[in-house]
Amino acid sequence: MANRSAHRCLDPGTTIIVGTIDGRGTPDVCRAIAVASQDGLATVVVYLPVATSQTMIQNLADTKRLAVTVMNPVNNCATQLKGSLVGVRLAGDDEAGFVRGQFSAFTDVLARIGVPRRLSGSLRYWPAFAVEMQIEQMFEQTPGPQAGTPLR
Amino acid sequence: MTRLADLWRCFQGVVPSAVATADRNGIPNVTYCSQVYFVDDSHVALSCQFFNKTRRNLDENPAASVEVIDPLTLQAYRLRVRFERSEKSGPLFDSMSLRIDAIASHTGMQGIFRLIAADVFEVVACEIVEGFLTEAPADVPDHVSLEGARTEMRGLQLVSERINGATNLESLLAVVLEALEEYFGFAHTSVLLYDEASRRLTALASRGYGESGIGAEVAVGEGLIGTVARDRKLLRLTSLEGDLRYARAIRREAAADRSVSPGEEIPLPGLPGAQSVLIIPLTVGARLIGVIAAEDRDPMRFNEWHEAYLGVIANQIALGIDRMIEHTDDAVEMPAAVGSAAVVEAACAAARGACRRLTYYRNDDSIFVDDEYLIRNIPARILWKVLGESKRTGRTEFSNRELRVDVALGLPPVKDNLESRLILLRHRLQEKCPELAIVSTGRGRFALRANVAVELTER
Repeated sequence: MANRSAHRCLDPGTTIIVGTIDGRGTPDVCRAIAVASQDGLATVVVYLPVATSQTMIQNLADTKRLAVTVMNPVNNCATQLKGSLVGVRLAGDDEAGFVRGQFSAFTDVLARIGVPRRLSGSLRYWPAFAVEMQIEQMFEQTPGPQAGTPLR
Repeated sequence: MTRLADLWRCFQGVVPSAVATADRNGIPNVTYCSQVYFVDDSHVALSCQFFNKTRRNLDENPAASVEVIDPLTLQAYRLRVRFERSEKSGPLFDSMSLRIDAIASHTGMQGIFRLIAADVFEVVACEIVEGFLTEAPADVPDHVSLEGARTEMRGLQLVSERINGATNLESLLAVVLEALEEYFGFAHTSVLLYDEASRRLTALASRGYGESGIGAEVAVGEGLIGTVARDRKLLRLTSLEGDLRYARAIRREAAADRSVSPGEEIPLPGLPGAQSVLIIPLTVGARLIGVIAAEDRDPMRFNEWHEAYLGVIANQIALGIDRMIEHTDDAVEMPAAVGSAAVVEAACAAARGACRRLTYYRNDDSIFVDDEYLIRNIPARILWKVLGESKRTGRTEFSNRELRVDVALGLPPVKDNLESRLILLRHRLQEKCPELAIVSTGRGRFALRANVAVELTER
């Protein structure tokens, strides 16, 4: 069972980035909208906007490896998850409410640190790919001497 | 390919960037980076503060992907980069290090949170992230239009004229800050002068703050201003809140780790909610004269262009201040004037019952007025000397020279900053005891004026 530091990656209002690599060793980075887990962080589903994640999905098809870092923009607490691809699908209508809610929480947090909603509201979050990932490693990623410490 | 120089707003550190790398086994790593630095049209740099996974990956696989965001539109851009080298000295390193050192010092993390290296990358490709926003971002005009630049160049000329026209240090500082607001729109500014003897800077002029802050002190090397004074290098922060949040996270982690002991965070003086800060050292040659600081709530208020022309203005201000400090002494010793009655006695007689009680505390070299702190150190000794002299002899006028030869005041033999100490004393009296005033009566001379009874006590 992952500890509290690990579980904070599921908190609403976080900012999420995803890293992948293509078959030639070239990394790619993309912003994600939401992360969900139904099994205590054995696996997670990462929601990526379709419009901006085409290269990433291609990379996943090629190498099946990904890293996800989730950070709270207010206190910079961050967790990195690393693992392998279970599957990719287009997020369904039944997931739209959850993704919208996470996006809304994110814009709330941005507003707290000075980003106006007229700007953050223009970020595209739907339609989204749902990328299911088997978590193999988790790391503390908050900047400081503990960054890189395994969380499980 | 999008020109890197066109993305200058993305490189101000307002929105954290994302960096993806991978190790030799093809395991990706993705992390946030507080600022990507523009080096030239084909290079960027990242700060290496910890020997982390990103840094190790780059030694195994130099390819990386960086996503930067324009803070005014939130449009994202993706950079394909290749790690070239780590710089551990030189102008790029110094520039990146100053910013980190200043924030570290401010948050009590001096020596703990520091730049290890400036990692330089070649930018192989740079492209807009299509579809990142639901609609194309509106055009945002750059701060520096040709017309704006012309206005600012004209402002530069006028500031220069005003500096040349100032007749004393106090008026010089006032006209400089007034001109910075008038021609450049810098509404929150202050000037701190350096005292070599105490290695501290003291605020002698400010504009745009509710309380003047005159008399506020900072040690060299302490906080944002002290770091600029120590390194004699300009500091521009464009995301102060974000930088502080980042540093506080490291501070919190370091404290939890117990491997290091962070110091106390220094309360930030000045403008509440300031997002951008520009602090410029005032130097003549290698000699520090002081610093000039500007703040704004707009994170994008100051840019490279401001650095350039304010650097020119700062040189002029420094020379102007130095000229005033060097030449304000009385050229010819004049007999000290004797008033018709001593200030203290006259005021007592005329006061009709009103009285201000001034107490000098020997143990901490400070003066309090009616139990409220007024001033300390050399300016306190100056005030106590002239008040005492006035009480004993009836004199109301004094000369700078007699202060300089009085060893009991403890003025340094050279670069004594007497003029700036008198300015500080005048301002503090205006704020805390306006019935008592130090008034300039000519070159190198001043008078003590009082319109209230003054009771002096020494403890």
